[in-house]
Amino acid sequence: MDAKERYFWDLTGYLIVRNVLTPEEVAAANAAIDACTDRMTQGEDNNRSRDSVSLRGKGQKLLGNTIELEKPFCDPFRKMLVHPQVVVRLNEMCGKGFRYDHGSWVAFSEQGTEGFTLHGSGEPHGPNVAYHHQNGRMYCNGVTATWQLADGAAGAGGFACVAGSHKSAFPIPAGVRTCDADLGVVIQPETKAGDVIFFMDGAQTHGTLPWVSEVPRRSVLFKYASRTAVRSGVSTQVAPPEIYWDEAIVEGMSDPERAVMYGPCTNTGGGKAYLDIDEEGNVSASDLAV
Amino acid sequence: MDKRLYTVSEEEKYYFDLRGYLVVRAVLTANEIAQCNAAIDHFADRIDHYDGSLSRGSKALAGATSRRQLTGMLGWPSPFREPFRKLLVHPTVVSRLNEFSGKGFRLDHGPLLINAATGTEGHTLHGSGQPHSPATWYHQQNGKIYCQGITVAWQLTDCKAGAGGFALVPGSHKTREPTPDGVISVEEDMGLVVQPEMKAGDVLFFAETATHGTLPWKGENERRSVLYKYAGRGVARAVGKHFTPQQRYSDWVDGLTPEQQAVLYGPGVHSGSRAPVLESDGEKTWIPQTK
Repeated sequence: MDAKERYFWDLTGYLIVRNVLTPEEVAAANAAIDACTDRMTQGEDNNRSRDSVSLRGKGQKLLGNTIELEKPFCDPFRKMLVHPQVVVRLNEMCGKGFRYDHGSWVAFSEQGTEGFTLHGSGEPHGPNVAYHHQNGRMYCNGVTATWQLADGAAGAGGFACVAGSHKSAFPIPAGVRTCDADLGVVIQPETKAGDVIFFMDGAQTHGTLPWVSEVPRRSVLFKYASRTAVRSGVSTQVAPPEIYWDEAIVEGMSDPERAVMYGPCTNTGGGKAYLDIDEEGNVSASDLAV
Repeated sequence: MDKRLYTVSEEEKYYFDLRGYLVVRAVLTANEIAQCNAAIDHFADRIDHYDGSLSRGSKALAGATSRRQLTGMLGWPSPFREPFRKLLVHPTVVSRLNEFSGKGFRLDHGPLLINAATGTEGHTLHGSGQPHSPATWYHQQNGKIYCQGITVAWQLTDCKAGAGGFALVPGSHKTREPTPDGVISVEEDMGLVVQPEMKAGDVLFFAETATHGTLPWKGENERRSVLYKYAGRGVARAVGKHFTPQQRYSDWVDGLTPEQQAVLYGPGVHSGSRAPVLESDGEKTWIPQTK
């Protein structure tokens, strides 16, 4: 990762590295996807676009957990998992010891597929995905590496972001979140098959524009975290107190006591991991983070 | 219950943000203190000496003996565990940690009893705003505090001024300069190191990223401080039971290369085992040999 890339990443919150995959590698990954199309899930129409008018469209198709597919279909994706071009950048972006948190799914978008309202921002601060720069070093706790397996021409739709928003100390205006009145700050970078997009997941405001190209969008998303940051994936599955701790430690605990014994993750799967305190000083547990 | 015990005041927020620590006074009753001490006395045969030296060659921190410690309180048989489970989510803790770490804070590791007799050595100072540590990061933005690592230390015996025990450098959670060696060793502390006076029943909150440690124990009484190490919801310091790829995923990970497995380790940095790190030159990826 050279000085220009570091400057661009720190300034904008994303980075595109061009021509990382050879045409043969792109073809191999696409062949694996084609062999697994019957395993794709089909999202509901106008689901991820939520209350947006400009992002409406057909439901998103996804092929999940590609690194867990049986051989040979998993091979192209396992190669992406620790591709040298990813490792050299994540060692700088997240620091050595970065880890795969969740993902490896394929976002497959046919023409007319809806967009995804923009999310993530410097405000409110999200410690487990936040970006920080100090004394010449970068610390980004959440980075997504998105492998492009089809061209994303200008205006085609797909990944979009607000450059520089990882440093914003103000909340996202509603019109930017929905892209209905985006203030001219939302961009959709042009990409080619074989490129890889790095973006600050959670810290940077990002989302997806409706896919308008005749050629389907094929993007594979790997969600990485720094060594001590956690979001979801397997961490959610092992977070319940009875799984995360030895039995004797949590046996017989009350709900409030169990709440603080959940393992690390921000998606607790509906677990009562949040404590409230009422006017009389009584402590209670709930699944509500706010 | 006295409302001040479960309400964070504006002065407390100011003090914690400014100093990196906070002492809430007279939280436990004499009876609650006695219950904790009685449970510890019951398991006194499990108290170990720390294996090694925490003063690490510092003349200012040297002592005649190493500190004593005890763990496992939350899993003790009833009724011995109850006083410590009460401390785990005590209203004084919940009110402060909801404010300082955010709702969803969690116990990362502990509790740990730190027990010292007169003449016990100190512990070199550690933690700092520089280098930045994502796992214990202190951040304040738009009036809200985000402290990722907070230790709550319940005092079960008095710590008089000059007695030793917990010490820290106020404000050091915000420094962007490395800690001078003389401050770490307290041999030349530039007048920055303070040892707060506390009484049994007080509870101390400190930001793990503040530069902190322990002064040699000179008190005539025994020191008993029980430390609970909390973290923000999406942060891990201790690695937990599900750390290696084999512990976290099913058999499919056996088909991965060591480099691919390296990024499937769970979160955290504390424990006997560490996740391998990766190196790359952009052409290939490898795990460097450890010496």
